[in-house]
Amino acid sequence: MEILGNAIVPAAIQWVLWYAIFKTDGATELAGMTYVQMLHYTLVSVLFNQVRGGDQDFELAEMIRTGQLSNYLIRPVGLIQFIYIRGVASKLLISALSLAIGIVLSVSVLSSEASPLRMIGAMLLALLGNVIHFQIGAVLSAMAFRWEDAYGLLMVKNMAVSILSGELLPLNLFPESPFYLYVFGPAQYALGEWTHLEFVRQLGVAFLWIFVLWVLIRFTWGLGIKKYVSLGG
Amino acid sequence: MQLLFKPEIQTHFALKDVSFNVEPGSFVGLIGANGAGKTTLLKILSGLIPPTEGSTRVLGYNPFERPLDFRRKIALVMGQKAQLWWDLPANDAFDLLHAIYDIPDKLYRERVQILSELLDVKQHLQTQIRRLSLGERMKMELIGAILHWPSVIFLDEPTIGLDVMAAAKLREFLKVFNQREKSTIILTSHNMDDIERLCSRVLILRAGELIYDGKPAGLLREGERRLKVRFSLVPDLEELSRITRLPLNQISVAMSERAEDPDLAPETGGVYFTLKQDQIVPVLQILMQHGTIIDMGIEEQSLESVIQRVFEGGIKP
Repeated sequence: MEILGNAIVPAAIQWVLWYAIFKTDGATELAGMTYVQMLHYTLVSVLFNQVRGGDQDFELAEMIRTGQLSNYLIRPVGLIQFIYIRGVASKLLISALSLAIGIVLSVSVLSSEASPLRMIGAMLLALLGNVIHFQIGAVLSAMAFRWEDAYGLLMVKNMAVSILSGELLPLNLFPESPFYLYVFGPAQYALGEWTHLEFVRQLGVAFLWIFVLWVLIRFTWGLGIKKYVSLGG
Repeated sequence: MQLLFKPEIQTHFALKDVSFNVEPGSFVGLIGANGAGKTTLLKILSGLIPPTEGSTRVLGYNPFERPLDFRRKIALVMGQKAQLWWDLPANDAFDLLHAIYDIPDKLYRERVQILSELLDVKQHLQTQIRRLSLGERMKMELIGAILHWPSVIFLDEPTIGLDVMAAAKLREFLKVFNQREKSTIILTSHNMDDIERLCSRVLILRAGELIYDGKPAGLLREGERRLKVRFSLVPDLEELSRITRLPLNQISVAMSERAEDPDLAPETGGVYFTLKQDQIVPVLQILMQHGTIIDMGIEEQSLESVIQRVFEGGIKP
């Protein structure tokens, strides 16, 4: 039910918006996309939006604040990896469902450029976007070592991601950013707007971001852990 | 906003010049008043926080570097902090630890069996941790902490909030585990039963300083007794010290044994004198000459009473 709610509300908002712009105001194109293309984008973006990262970064920040981080620091596990893998389990299930729905759409409703193979490639991009989303959150949550509470910072990040990921609007006119890979990028490839070459390039960009953010996490957490006081007894 | 980027910092020394060695296999009690630095010391020894000065070695490792081998060999149980996953049944939480510590399957099953039977919680293994009582939860926490058979176990008030039976069961288990497996155990507790019955060695912290390092029995001076006297009128302790020629730190006000309130009320007119056996009669004779005695009794010195006076700074161990 939560997934349906998360899917239906943004999709409904977008449909109303495009209807108002195209049908009521009489526009024929917006950012190079027609009404039908906008609707297809809305359908497909809803699928990839379900795969976007969860709230593990809030959990990390809260663990620093309450001292619960200690439970993981004394165990032989990589903390960041442990928290990520625990959270991604449900996302993998959702991605499988979304992929199945996407494949059905690609052979029925969507344009001729769409295909099951493109949908699989797009889902791979979205999963890499999920990793990047978590990594950005992990870097920001390390601020809790200094400020004790990084909740506000993470909320601002989530609001920015809502817009910059393409969840609500196609990002044709926005410059490239790692947030492209959450929703907009996968949607563009799934709909046939990106070539296969562009897809491979974006894959390379994704892996580069993952590496850079991995280095940043080690740096910020390495510094932050020295300030950790393990509160709560 | 200024505080966000330039926070005001106050420095508080939680520990000062604390230095000690612990032999493998020993059972050490770490005691002190609230805020003395016990938990801070455990956090340093387990690698959660680094010492500001000096060095720490546990099992040959620098704890704060937290190498994987070190983390596989230690355990930390905090009575006030849940470490298992609350929404999971105990069995599932143990399965997760089984994977984390890479315990061989057969050993894992045997240990869960042994430990749950020893601690009498076998019937609760399928229950979610959050649904268990405090005592049952602490037992599960202990099982989870030692499933991987650590070489060093840090216990921070493991019997806090437990009833008499549960605390006794836990104590019995720890004693057996220490003797059988030769694990080194460092225990902090405000419960003197834990210290007296388990620890062969006691470290006492006061205001961050280590003021005693030795056997619990070393705190009790041989042949010392406590003379409890109730007077008809509340006496002045300094006056009592003068007439009996006893140091003031050997005289204290008696707390009511019948008080149920944690903030015990002083027993009207009651005073304790810490004396050698052969001093009792002469002191009583002096007291009878200077006041009206309603009641009197002689008690053995208890570890708890000695430690209380150590905390208060009344005696040096």
